Amino acid sequence: MKTKTIISRLLQIICLCLLNTQIQAAEVTIHKNNESGLLTWTSKDDGFSIELIQLIPDFVRAVYAKYGLPPDEVERIAGYCVFGTIIQNTSQQQLSYRVSDWRYVDKNGKTYPVKTKAQWLEEWQKVGVTFLWTLLPESGDFGIGDWQQGFTTIQLGRSEKFDLIYTWTLDGKKHQGKIENMSCAPAEISASPTKQ
Amino acid sequence: MISILFCCLLTFSAQAAEREQPKLGYNMTALPKPVSAPDFTLKDMDGKKYSLKDYRGKVILLNFWATWCPPCRRELPSMQRVHQNFKGKDFAVIAINQMEEVDHVFAFTGELEVDPKFTILFDKDSAVSLAYGVQGLPTTFLIDKKGKVRFRAIGGREFDHPEVEKQILQLIQE
Repeated sequence: MKTKTIISRLLQIICLCLLNTQIQAAEVTIHKNNESGLLTWTSKDDGFSIELIQLIPDFVRAVYAKYGLPPDEVERIAGYCVFGTIIQNTSQQQLSYRVSDWRYVDKNGKTYPVKTKAQWLEEWQKVGVTFLWTLLPESGDFGIGDWQQGFTTIQLGRSEKFDLIYTWTLDGKKHQGKIENMSCAPAEISASPTKQ
Repeated sequence: MISILFCCLLTFSAQAAEREQPKLGYNMTALPKPVSAPDFTLKDMDGKKYSLKDYRGKVILLNFWATWCPPCRRELPSMQRVHQNFKGKDFAVIAINQMEEVDHVFAFTGELEVDPKFTILFDKDSAVSLAYGVQGLPTTFLIDKKGKVRFRAIGGREFDHPEVEKQILQLIQE
């Protein structure tokens, strides 16, 4: 009897979870840049689109060196997998997102939280960095037509594959999307990837 | 180092050019409850001080931007056009640059096809953007004649689109 009650409770909880978080069957496209060989993933979900563009470490170094980060900090962020990220409210309603809810899963199935802008800024402030921009804002309340861009950072080895799980809330309902088999930009780009 | 930077920027620019950028929108979202626009005093390129309170009685398109931000660069021409379209009316465009040097912005504006005639101010420590709760660039507010924030747009827009101009006109006529 007790086991039946526990199973019934578990089923209720699972049903509630499924109702609260709608998992999307996203339409994901991958684009390879002919000149650089770098990849861009674009996922168009219900009311939300996300685009992630591989950025090579030298590009990341150049951006943060220009804005006066100490060399150690420049190297630290260049050591992450950094993606130029564009997110967009494609719905006709209010939409919100929180990067602190986003996750990535490595090839062994281990899940990690995506580091937020607030976490970066907290670390930078400790070493006297006051620069606030370029990272994807950690949260946002988007009206119709709103969109945002910035860098997203993933801490994995450069050759490791991972899945990105991202969420957004539309009309009070939490949605979840997934891009599978993503990878970091290479350490450097070859002169002519199309001739490889 | 300069050659590395140049190479990187070329690579990224080529990639950005090849990929289709999101279209600039034309919706500005009405705030459910208008809030008082925080006052500020900032300098322009010539060191002249400007305060928001000096604009009371005018509708203000207040834009937060930086030269490194692609949608900021893309929406600048439409800001000049809307500035021109409402010339002589109770309307002003103010673009507040974030954390960049005057010389750098001066050089950047010199390269634009159309010279911006609206006011560009410098928020060296981003204190004003923080007061407005700006999370990312560009972000734009439409402030009414009484100094209340009425509309907001996150991300690039075409500010001379009829829909936005209708919103501006509505506030001018209040």
